[in-house]
Amino acid sequence: MKAESIARWLLILLLPVLLLAALLLRSQGSSQAVELRARMPEQGGWTPTDMIMSAGQPLLLRLTSDDVLHGFAIGQSDEPAVDVFPGKMTELTLLFDQPGKYTYYCTRWCGANHWRMRGTIEVLPNPDQPDPTQVDVPNEESLFMRLGVELDGHPHTDLVPEQGRPDAHRAAALGIAPPESYLVPEYYRTHSPVEVFTALRREPFSASLSDQQVWDFVAWIWQQGTSSEKLAEGQELYTRNCAACHGTSGAGDGVMAAQVAAEYANSGHQSGPTNFTNPQRSLATSPAIQQGKIIRGGMGTGMPYWGPIFTEEQIWSLVDYLWTFQFDY
Amino acid sequence: MLKRLRSRLANGGWKWGIFSILMLLILISPVPAFSAPPADRHIKINASSFEYDPGVIRVNPGDRVTLELSSTDVTHGIAIDGYNLQVTAEPGQNQSLTFVADQQGTYRLRCSVTCGALHPFMIGKLHVGPNTLLLKSILIATLGLAVMIWTGTRQ
Amino acid sequence: MSRLELTRIPGIKTALRSRWPQLVLRVIALAGFALAIVAGISGTPVGSRNFAIVFVWIGWWALLMLVAVPLFGRGWCSICPIPMPGEWLQQGSLLKPQGKGLGLGWRWPNKLRNIWLQNGAFVLVALFSTVILTSPLTSALVLAAFLVVAVAASLVFERRAFCRYLCPVGGFIGLYSQVAPLELRVKDSSVCAAHTEKTCYQGSAEGYGCPWQVFPPGLVKNTYCGTCMECLRTCPHDNLTINLRPFGADLEKPSGRKLDEAFKAFIMLGSAMIYSAVMLGPWGFLKNAAYNIGSLQWLVYAAAFLTFIFLALPGLFYAAVALGQALSSNNAQVVRVRQRRPFSTHRQAFIAFAYSLVPLGLAAWIAFSLSFVLANLSYLWPVISDPLGWGWDLLRTAQAPWTPYLSGVTPILQAGVLLVGLLWAARTALRTPAAPGARPVLPRQQVIQALPVILFCSAVSFGLLGLLVA
Repeated sequence: MKAESIARWLLILLLPVLLLAALLLRSQGSSQAVELRARMPEQGGWTPTDMIMSAGQPLLLRLTSDDVLHGFAIGQSDEPAVDVFPGKMTELTLLFDQPGKYTYYCTRWCGANHWRMRGTIEVLPNPDQPDPTQVDVPNEESLFMRLGVELDGHPHTDLVPEQGRPDAHRAAALGIAPPESYLVPEYYRTHSPVEVFTALRREPFSASLSDQQVWDFVAWIWQQGTSSEKLAEGQELYTRNCAACHGTSGAGDGVMAAQVAAEYANSGHQSGPTNFTNPQRSLATSPAIQQGKIIRGGMGTGMPYWGPIFTEEQIWSLVDYLWTFQFDY
Repeated sequence: MLKRLRSRLANGGWKWGIFSILMLLILISPVPAFSAPPADRHIKINASSFEYDPGVIRVNPGDRVTLELSSTDVTHGIAIDGYNLQVTAEPGQNQSLTFVADQQGTYRLRCSVTCGALHPFMIGKLHVGPNTLLLKSILIATLGLAVMIWTGTRQ
Repeated sequence: MSRLELTRIPGIKTALRSRWPQLVLRVIALAGFALAIVAGISGTPVGSRNFAIVFVWIGWWALLMLVAVPLFGRGWCSICPIPMPGEWLQQGSLLKPQGKGLGLGWRWPNKLRNIWLQNGAFVLVALFSTVILTSPLTSALVLAAFLVVAVAASLVFERRAFCRYLCPVGGFIGLYSQVAPLELRVKDSSVCAAHTEKTCYQGSAEGYGCPWQVFPPGLVKNTYCGTCMECLRTCPHDNLTINLRPFGADLEKPSGRKLDEAFKAFIMLGSAMIYSAVMLGPWGFLKNAAYNIGSLQWLVYAAAFLTFIFLALPGLFYAAVALGQALSSNNAQVVRVRQRRPFSTHRQAFIAFAYSLVPLGLAAWIAFSLSFVLANLSYLWPVISDPLGWGWDLLRTAQAPWTPYLSGVTPILQAGVLLVGLLWAARTALRTPAAPGARPVLPRQQVIQALPVILFCSAVSFGLLGLLVA
């Protein structure tokens, strides 16, 4: 009998105790932490989608993915993105000084609906803290809103450069310059290249220039409004966020393009992501329209809205980069 | 023990001896040198869940191969058996892997980033030259069968 | 045939007779099994980071296919956790008999005293295998279902009814154990003849009558002996032993050959071939068809699967066997022998030659398993530290990266295994005797009747080579 009881104790000890230990260990690790699970958007996206926390108080996040590689970042924040690995836990501490509504988003392509994988964090004012010095955030309206530009039209022009892409260097080499008024960002950003071309054509300085040379000046004006740092930032943003649909060459032939086109084929809009290398369309588009499209999205075309994700500065860098598909800088 | 061995040899075990020698010769014999000169090859591989396109790649020994991995839905990777090389790519950001295909044979390509349920079975193939292992195996198998049948049904 | 009685080696008999080592192993296996179920249900759905998938379909499967079955036959069955809770309840004790246990103790129905149910269970699991092997939840539910069925079987029927007649794994372990170099047999059958109580089958105060419903004095093949060692404990004359013997000794014994076992050989061979194509091939559409259960593609896949293993493969084999019989009966010298053909019916010949497929099928499964086991064995290390994918790091191995092992050598190993399997299958075919107990027919007839079968085995082997190595 004694051997049998020893055997039964062995069984009781090894089995339930193990499982109990497992459950205890789990609750130990997650005290105060919020577990954020990532799934492909078709399977639910982020869980939970919306979180609430207080300003000035840290929140420990434990991130994991249930299927593929995802990433986590807060919109309009300088904090680097964190990869969220399938079956692994990544810990991240969030701390917000300012109350407000923040958007977090997935930073690793996880399918055609990757951009929809977002959630919100509502940061409430901290009752314990005296009101922090309110930073004056000027509530600036974006350029496209101030102008009330039409974002959903179909810009088109037949007036395009006849001899290849406009080259800013060629214009610089000529040693002359268009009037200063053209270089004001407010000006060229609100006009499409073909409008600027037409205006330049009427200016006295361009009297002896060929059409192609005037186009080169359009490119030159665009180049003056940006810098190599901004272009580099724009390229990185484009590669990480846009290339999958719009293609590395900007031709609207990215790996997701066919799927997007098929999904929105019946929506009555253009089929597929915009081809930035098409001069008839691009040269009739103003940077303000591009900014608007990026901020507001495509309204049923599959083009995501990036307003809560990128800062205004980032969006202008991205817009600057888009013009490298038309102009040579 | 020794007596049994001797009787085995006398009975027909010598045939197996010949087979063993032939088998060794086949195994260690080098394959006739491949005549094609090494070339530069650039191959774009589209990765989706859960296959590679093209799923089978053929190159010649000595070729300088650049594999451009283009993922079409989620982040995928390629790990090459035998060469122990890896590359991963996210959709929209193709990545390339360049190597010299100096090892002859057939090697599996396996996905190296968890990309869904069937990730462990996401497999492609890389053929570097003729598959000598297959040829030798078939040769040795046929030889072995011949000897076995020839030896008959000794109990 | 030479046999080495291992129980003569000091210590081995004591270790095998003692219930403690076996109990400890069983409890550890049961703990692992329970953890697998818990992990599958509550842990991460990512298969490669979940104990349920990694330790069952990579760890345990590797152990089973590469070590336990080829070397120890039904050795796994001795410590398998699935029947244990039911058996403990049925017997009412963990060690020696204590008295009555629970259960109705019904006899297993005669009509079902075969392995057809096991064949069906295996095919069922095989049809859903792509999902079972990759989804921790599905795996856990399947394992839990096995447990429930095993417990129910123990409480309704006598002895190990689940293991003997229902377990899908047991079906092929039994068949392939005929290949193993270990066997449990009586030492001297005259001792058994003189022993009236037959405690090996009836049980005694020292132990239970054979739970596998095998009559030890009549044990000729390994197929149904679960190596539980009860008979070693109950025999008062110490007449049972574990022998070391040549590989495959059971294959040539003509007794006990049945159609259900023959079909098991086809089910195993066929599924190894299909898995090699679907899981290890470069064809994504096949994988998706096998995975999307319920879809039209899956229905086509399932139909093709069933047709291949139940019709095409056995059909081709039957043709090969019939051809062999026809060819070897045209020998003019046969006229003097009473039988025109080596086997009196093609069905007999079909069943007899099907055993050549045992070493072939085992080799096919080993070759198939080598590829995904070696490539994914490294998943074991992180899972040991973080079995549920909850972010633990118990043994500091949670960050170990995925590294395929021996990737350059694996095809060579696979080819070697397939080669050995083919030669062995051919040898078995050549030694298939004409009828149970009968003297073999003329050597030339023997060889000729086996030739088409050898051709069949070669075609299968080369096909597998093509799928796994080419």
